[in-house]
Amino acid sequence: MQIIRDRAIVEDDFVHVADGVELPARGKPIVSLARYVKEREARFASPAFGVRVPPDKLPEDIPDLDRIALIALELTKFTEGRPFSVGRMLRQRYRFTGELRAVGYVLRDHLRYLERCGFNAFELKEGKPLASALEAFGELSHTYQADAAQPLPIYRRRY
Amino acid sequence: MYQYDDYDRRIILERAAQFRGQVARRLAGEISEDEFKPLRLQNGLYRQLHAYMLRIAIPYGLLGSRQVRKLAHIARTYDKGYGHLTTRQNIQYNWPRLPDVPAILDELATVEMHAIQTSGNCVRNITADHFAGIARDELEDPRPYCEILRQWSTFHPEFAHLPRKFKIAMTGAPGEDRAAVRFHDIGLRIVENAQGERGFEVLAGGGLGRTPIIAEVVRPFLPKRYLLSYIESILRVYNLFGRRDNKFKARIKILVDALGIEEFRRRVEEDWEASRTPELELPDAEIARVAAFFAPPPYERLPAEDPTRLVLGKDRVLGTWVRNNVVAHKVAGYSAVVISVKQTGTPPGDITDTQLDAVADLADRYSFGRVVVTHTQNLVLPDVKTSELAALHAELRELDLGEANANKLTDLITCPGLDYCDLANARSIPLSLEISERFDRIDYLDDVGDLSIKISGCINACGHHHVGNIGILGIDKRGVEFYQLMLGGSPGNDASIGKILGRALAQDEIVDAVEKVLDKYLAIRESSDERFLETVRRVGLDPFKLAVYGEVSDADHS
Amino acid sequence: MPMFFIVTANFTDDGAVAWRRADGTWSRAIAEAGLVDSETNAKEHAATAAQREQREVSDPYVIEVAVDGGVIQPQSARERIRATGPTIRIRRPD
Repeated sequence: MQIIRDRAIVEDDFVHVADGVELPARGKPIVSLARYVKEREARFASPAFGVRVPPDKLPEDIPDLDRIALIALELTKFTEGRPFSVGRMLRQRYRFTGELRAVGYVLRDHLRYLERCGFNAFELKEGKPLASALEAFGELSHTYQADAAQPLPIYRRRY
Repeated sequence: MYQYDDYDRRIILERAAQFRGQVARRLAGEISEDEFKPLRLQNGLYRQLHAYMLRIAIPYGLLGSRQVRKLAHIARTYDKGYGHLTTRQNIQYNWPRLPDVPAILDELATVEMHAIQTSGNCVRNITADHFAGIARDELEDPRPYCEILRQWSTFHPEFAHLPRKFKIAMTGAPGEDRAAVRFHDIGLRIVENAQGERGFEVLAGGGLGRTPIIAEVVRPFLPKRYLLSYIESILRVYNLFGRRDNKFKARIKILVDALGIEEFRRRVEEDWEASRTPELELPDAEIARVAAFFAPPPYERLPAEDPTRLVLGKDRVLGTWVRNNVVAHKVAGYSAVVISVKQTGTPPGDITDTQLDAVADLADRYSFGRVVVTHTQNLVLPDVKTSELAALHAELRELDLGEANANKLTDLITCPGLDYCDLANARSIPLSLEISERFDRIDYLDDVGDLSIKISGCINACGHHHVGNIGILGIDKRGVEFYQLMLGGSPGNDASIGKILGRALAQDEIVDAVEKVLDKYLAIRESSDERFLETVRRVGLDPFKLAVYGEVSDADHS
Repeated sequence: MPMFFIVTANFTDDGAVAWRRADGTWSRAIAEAGLVDSETNAKEHAATAAQREQREVSDPYVIEVAVDGGVIQPQSARERIRATGPTIRIRRPD
C-alpha cells in the first residue's frame, strides 16, 4: 500500500495487524494500543513495530515510547481534532522521535496542519488520490505560530 | 491600526488561493457537499435558507476607511447592496454566489481583510471593547494583545478541529466591561497586581446558547509574557477533553462545569508547566512593536470642551443625540461618537453600500480615517473633535444614521432569524421592526432611559438574548412561531442571565407584553434615575409577571 | 386536505432554494414542485440527487406539503419562508 512519508509517496514497509490475528513472519507490524500494552514484552523481542492509538488516548497512555518505531494516531472523522494535540505532545513534550503517522479519515486538507503538529507520515482516506494531496503541503506555507516543526513563533523569526 | 507586512499578506493570499481551489473542486463535482462543508466553514461561508452567507472578519471591530469602502464595493458588486453588522464585531453578506467568493476574498485581501476562521470549530474573531484606546476608564489598550492573539490563532495547526467554535474577548477597562468577557469561552481582563505589574485576569467557560453560564476565573493574574502559552494550554485541555459526542454539549463551558473550576485549572496548569517553551514567551519588544501600530493618532492640542452646552442648547435634536450617543474621550477636546445603525424600519445592524461609503468619508474627515464595529451592531467614530459634533450630527441625519438612541430601548440587538438563518426557529427581525415602530418616540425613549433589548431567533443565542435587560427568544411550537420573554440580563461586570417571565407568547402578544413590562417599570421605579435593570433587580419578576400575564405563577415556561 | 411530498434543496451556485419538478429538473418556484404520493419514493429521489447532482444542487431533502385548491402549502414557518423569501424588505431604499 502507498502512503505519504516525509512529503513523498512511498510503499509502506509497515502493515496493520488486527487484534487476534497472528503477526506476519516478516515486515513491521502495527498493532493496536490494547494489544501492545498486553503483549509488550513480546513486542520488544521482535524488530521494529508500530502502535495504533485511538483518538481518546493520551501520550501517557502509551508506555515505553522510546521503544516504539511508529505511532499511528487515528482520525475517525473529519472533525476529530484530538490527534493534533496528541501528536504535538508526543513530539514536543514526550520527545518521541519515531514515525508519527495519521491514519483513518485523513484528507489532503488535514495534511499541512498535521505536519505542523509533528506528523511525518499519512495514510489518506481510502480512495483519495495521493499525488494531488502532495500539493497540500505547499498551500499554507507561511505560518504565525510555534509548532512541532518550528519552535519559533513568527515574532522570533522575522525581527 | 495594524499594518500588514509582506508576510501577513502572503498568509491571506495563500488562504484565498487554497479556497479558490476548494471551490473549483466543489463546482466541478470532485468533492461532495459533505466534504466541502467543513472547508467552506473554515472560510466563513455558510449556506442559509435562501443563499450563501459570507462572514468577514473585522479584528476587534477596527476598520480603516479604505476597508470600509471595499466593504461597500463588495456589497454593491457581489451582493444586494448592503451588509449586516454582527454581535462579534464582524460583517456578513447574505447573498454571495459561490463562484464569486474567490473573487470576493481576493478583493478583501487587497485591503488586508479576509474571512478566515469566522466559522467552524476553531478560534474565531477576537473581540474587544469598542472604546479601546480612547476610554477614560481604560487601564490599558487591549488591542495590541488582541492583534497578537489574532496572529497566534490564525491557522493554528493544533486547534483547527476543536470540539466546537471558540470565542475570545478582551477588555482593558476594569470598571466597566464593554466586551462581555464573562460570556466568552475565554475572557481576558487587563489588570494590575499589588506590585503594580500589568497582566491578565483569565476567565474561561462563559457562554450563552442552550446553557448560559458566566465564566469562572482560571487565573487571577497572568504576566503578559505568558499570554500565548497559557491560552494554548487552555485550548489544549479543551481540545483533548471537550465533549465530541453531542454538538449541544461541546463548548468549553460544559467541560469547565463538568470538571469544576479546580480540576479544570489543575489540568491547564499541569499542561502549562510541562509544555510551555521560552520561545513562546512574549518579549516586551514584540508587545511594544505591535502596540506601536495602535499609537494615538495626531491629536491636536485642544482645550477641554464639555459637550453639555450642546445637550442643553436650543437644538433639542442635537442635544438629545449628544447626550445619548456621544461618549467622553480621554483626550481633551475629543469625543467618541456612536453611529446608530438602528433606524426604524430597517433591520438592526443592516447598512447599505451607500451608507458605508458615506461612513468612510465621515471617518476620513472627522475621525482620522477610523471606525469601529460594536458587538451591539452599531458603529463608533472614536476620535471626533467635540467642536465638530454638531456638523457631524447634521451629516449623519442626512444619511439616516443619526438616530439618538444609543443604549436606549430601540437600540436593539437582533440576529437574522428565520428570515435568513438555517438554524432559526422563529423570525426576529419583524419583531424588532415592530418594537422600534411601536416605541419610536424620543421623549419616551429618554424617559425609559438605558435599556437593552436583545432578540434571538433560536437557542443558539446569536442575538445574546440571555444578557438583554429584556431578552426575547423565538421558539417553534408545532410549526408556529412563539416568543419567550425574559428580564434582568446583563453582559458586563455585573453579569447576570435573564430569567423567563412565563409562558411563551404568540406573535400578536409579544410586543404588547414588552409595552406592559415598560409601563410597569415606569410605574414602580423609585426615581427616573433608577434604570430598568436596577428596578428588575430590586423588585424581582413578580410585578412584571402580573403585568404581562395577569397572575404570578411559576407557570409552565413552554 | 390532500397531503403530498416534495423534494427540495439549494442550488449549489447561488444557494437559492430549489424544488424538484416531476421530470427531475430543478425549479426556483415551489408552484412547479413535483408532487409525490409516497414518502419512500420522494426520499429515493432526494438520495439520488444527493449522489448524482452535487454540481447542481446541495443537500436535497423531503418535506410534506398540503395542496389546497392547487396551491402547495408547506407545513412549517421555515419552509413557508424558504418558499417565499425573507418576509422583510431586503435593502432600505437610498
